[in-house]
Amino acid sequence: MRHPDETKLALHSSGDLGWFAGWRTERHLARCARCRDEVAGFREMRETLPALAELPDVQWNRLAAEMRANIRLGLAAGECVGDAAEDVPSPLFGKARAVLAFASIFTLVVTGLVLERPAPSGSAAREPIAMAVDNGIEMRAGNQGFGLMHAGARNVINTVSAAGTLGARYVDPQSGYVTMTKVYVE
Amino acid sequence: MWNSTRRLLLAVALAGASAGFAQDTAISSDAVQINLPPNSPLTIRGVTMGNSRATARGAALSLDLHMAVTLENKSNNRIHGVMLRVVAQEVVLGGKGSVAYPSLNVGPGEILPVRIDMQLMRPSQVANGPLVQVDLDGVLFQDLTFFGPNRLNSQRTLTACEMEARRDREHFKRVLAQNGRNGLQAEILQSMNRQAESAQLAVTVKRGRATTGAASSEHAAEFAFLKFPDSPVEPLKGSAQISGNEARSPRIEVLNRSNKPVKYVEMGWIVSDAAGRQYMAGSLPSADNDVLLPPSRAGQLLQETTLSFSVKGQPVSVQRMMGFVSQVEFADGKIWVPNRENLENAVLLKVLPPSPEEQRLTDFYRTRGMDALIAELNKF
Repeated sequence: MRHPDETKLALHSSGDLGWFAGWRTERHLARCARCRDEVAGFREMRETLPALAELPDVQWNRLAAEMRANIRLGLAAGECVGDAAEDVPSPLFGKARAVLAFASIFTLVVTGLVLERPAPSGSAAREPIAMAVDNGIEMRAGNQGFGLMHAGARNVINTVSAAGTLGARYVDPQSGYVTMTKVYVE
Repeated sequence: MWNSTRRLLLAVALAGASAGFAQDTAISSDAVQINLPPNSPLTIRGVTMGNSRATARGAALSLDLHMAVTLENKSNNRIHGVMLRVVAQEVVLGGKGSVAYPSLNVGPGEILPVRIDMQLMRPSQVANGPLVQVDLDGVLFQDLTFFGPNRLNSQRTLTACEMEARRDREHFKRVLAQNGRNGLQAEILQSMNRQAESAQLAVTVKRGRATTGAASSEHAAEFAFLKFPDSPVEPLKGSAQISGNEARSPRIEVLNRSNKPVKYVEMGWIVSDAAGRQYMAGSLPSADNDVLLPPSRAGQLLQETTLSFSVKGQPVSVQRMMGFVSQVEFADGKIWVPNRENLENAVLLKVLPPSPEEQRLTDFYRTRGMDALIAELNKF
């Protein structure tokens, strides 16, 4: 047997449940002694509350009114969700989907970290190497690099020296000067 | 409602994550230190950093620098070449480069605007300080006098470029005098065609021995030589260790045929693939510590470097190698470069890139036309 939760029983004790939820709860109480005891307990508590409301420093009535309004709001929201769930029954709608969503976000975050962070390189990758890349020449060693770029230049001529240098030669499109860049592998 | 809320949460989470990975900040001119000697013929008129940015990428910092430096010639001599030394501070294992401007013609009081575009990747936890240091390494004047600390041998580089520039300007002037405007135009168009048709090798350079090559298939390959009658240095024999598309430890023995001591020799290096196609692979210079080669004495050029060759991502298997003398510096600082007749050789015409001056003049013709080119030639 599935029991109504405490909130529902408390609202039922004060007659604050909607007619449909109240009818369902009443049906349950007719055959469940444990929930009837719970409701009786809530009614006893309600009877002690008016006395507390007489205390001058605590505005119990206002607090109770606010709580009641909040409970009504929560119930209204709950009924919206409940109706939708009944319309489209899906075992993945609840916690499972939330877990799935956060797992996806976690995967994306980890993937981003791996892609953005320079890959840990072995000893071979730490060996300085010079090479021509798109729009420039660069010297790279592990996760460090140094490049001289020539974006926008046409007819770039790369030059190599066995002394351990790589160069690029081009006419700077802005100044019209021949520019020779070189990186040194040391 | 719940679904849209979840979508919103997901978007916020992703946006936050991506913002955390790539924080982008502008780089000010304080990040660059430019050093000119106190008696420098060049002074700085202005520095701008353009759209220079620093971007955090995980544990590394990616720097994209675009410097525009305006220099002024404060000397009484015309400047024909400038070389700047660029050092990325705190980058381990080097991070040294140079930016040179040959074929200049900057008169006294005139402005030389230069651009330096750099990309640096370094650990983000490195201490603060200037990211880049730019030093004046050398200035070559019209009369071939030189100023500068010359830490990168800029005097030799700029002087060799100047010798080639004079050679090529004379060549084009001679063509203009002998064959007129149409003859010059035909010559320039031929040069542009050669530049467009020559296949460029993609070469990677490593110091020492490569770690990836199949050592078992390595073999020594001998150089063949292209000899120029007027060359002061004659190549005798040479070889390199070849393994697939890698060549390492090239060495060439040369003889000083001149009557003057030689302190630097540079050989051009051509490789052929299995289909017989030839490519300019690079140059083989003598060691940094210049070796004085007296007249009639032989010496050896040797570099412990590994070059890997590829074209459009495909390795080029080296089948044959050819060498030729491309530059000689005498002990008195004078420099020899091959003349135009030497370069008319069928092999060199196909593979040798144009000199910086020929590159500039052909670009001048392409962008400004024949009249402007003739006017430019007449300025020298």
